[in-house]
Amino acid sequence: MSAYLLHLAILGGIYVILAISLNLIIGYAGQVSLGHAAFFGIGAYVSALTSLHLNFPFPLAALSAILFSGGCGFLLGLPTLRLKEDYLAIVTLGFGVIVDLVFLNLEITGGPDGLAGIAPPRILGVSFRAPGMYLLLVLLAVILTLILTYRLVNSYHGRALRAIRDHEVTAQVMGINTPAYKVAIFTLAAALAGMAGSLYAHYITFINPESFGLHTSILALCMVVLGGMGSIAGAVVGALALTVLPEMLRQFKAYQDLIYGGLLVALLIWRPEGLLGKGKLSLKFISRE
Amino acid sequence: MFLQQLLNGLTAGAVYALIALGYTMIYGILGLINFAQGEIYMFGAFVAVLLLGAGVNFFLAFIGGMGAAALLGVALERVAFRPLRGSHPLVPLISAIGASIFLQSLALLLFGPNDRPFPIQFTFSTITIAGLPLSSLQGAILLAALGFMALLVVFVRYTRYGKAIVACALDRDTARLMGVNVDRMVALTFLIGSALSGAAGIMMAIYYNATYPRMGLLPGLKAFSAAILGGVGSIPGAILGGLLLGVAESLGAAYFSSGYKDAIAFAILILVLLFRPQGILKGRGD
Repeated sequence: MSAYLLHLAILGGIYVILAISLNLIIGYAGQVSLGHAAFFGIGAYVSALTSLHLNFPFPLAALSAILFSGGCGFLLGLPTLRLKEDYLAIVTLGFGVIVDLVFLNLEITGGPDGLAGIAPPRILGVSFRAPGMYLLLVLLAVILTLILTYRLVNSYHGRALRAIRDHEVTAQVMGINTPAYKVAIFTLAAALAGMAGSLYAHYITFINPESFGLHTSILALCMVVLGGMGSIAGAVVGALALTVLPEMLRQFKAYQDLIYGGLLVALLIWRPEGLLGKGKLSLKFISRE
Repeated sequence: MFLQQLLNGLTAGAVYALIALGYTMIYGILGLINFAQGEIYMFGAFVAVLLLGAGVNFFLAFIGGMGAAALLGVALERVAFRPLRGSHPLVPLISAIGASIFLQSLALLLFGPNDRPFPIQFTFSTITIAGLPLSSLQGAILLAALGFMALLVVFVRYTRYGKAIVACALDRDTARLMGVNVDRMVALTFLIGSALSGAAGIMMAIYYNATYPRMGLLPGLKAFSAAILGGVGSIPGAILGGLLLGVAESLGAAYFSSGYKDAIAFAILILVLLFRPQGILKGRGD
């Protein structure tokens, strides 16, 4: 595999984790997060800072990133998840803007210059600096994420989440503790995004606030909608497609956002179930009226 | 210093209030957030700047910008909202985000990434009232914004169409039974809300002497926060929320930290949603 393909595969794998985590919130719990890149960024910065300043080895840095992002998700979700969808969208979007500004203004995060010289991972004496090795590491993380999320969404808890998405009041009447479920899934999604951020930071070895702004949140949203809300396989396909397509369509780079925006609207009108939604989990079947 | 900051805040706040009115009216009638409101604001400013560049007289260009924004709003409703009415609330929300990205990048392609200065330089004097230097530009923006708000309030309270819009906002089905053409009222709401946002965009383009494709992003989001702060669905609430938010932001930037200026609006938003989700003047939020 050429170096360039390896690079795309690694980035694709990282975005797959990000898209799956966002899909848990959107496609399974029926909530929306427009600030998902903030958790991605928090993971990246925590991982980078702990390994730069505290000399944490990679597994420990990644674990701190996961716990810290998850903790932030918990703290944000606890008070806000009782809000209606559109308010939640704005709050998460605002959260994304605030986190972005914090990265930009804090001294410890290096401001607009970001952090450089993040060590590539080394686990039990094995270096993962080579792209091929790094791809293995990312694949491992992707597989873990897939197993975790597949097990989750096909369990009792997964069905409870879908019930909340389809009709929150009915779910409550059936005895589902809806606030607890929503906060739990939000926390889990934030933790997974943090893991993706950690993998990103140690791969690129240089991070600055630009990679974690609104643009990245929207990109993750596009991946989820394109692949199919409420489909794990869809999130994988959506993430890979939106990692590879922009590379293939380099000469149309100026039109990239135009296409993403138009794609979102067109998909929702003509194919709201996305590429792999199969209809059974599509939002078409969820009507509140 | 304090009074100067207060005045700066009121000027920005009046503009936020104008955009917030669009949000609040659309939320009132359809129960959804038009995420692309900020792009309509930007579009109004660009059309006015282009018209002025072509040598059109200032007032005609202003009206042209507002008209273009209004048409864009109506087109947006037809394309991105109407086909999705009745689906899960997430769907029109995401569609509006898509429309917003689309319009932003379209503007980037059409107008280029650079700031454009406003074509006319106004020679505004600075009047000193009681030791406070008041720029007459700020005065003009404040007056114009308040004028637009007054016009809107009169329209909604005292005209047939205005009352029909209120009826639709209260209960769409009953309004339809009473012979109100609901689709037309929704379109009219988008028309008016977008025209106001367009006017806000032109005023900000004059105030900051800059027009650029992403200019609508933050004012749009802040105006939405303002609408919630005042009580979404309430017209006086949007005005009050806009002014309060502008002042809070300006004072916060002056006395707290200018680096976090843009975070203030969102911090307020989160606090309001947590402690008083219905807003200051009870809106329809829950």
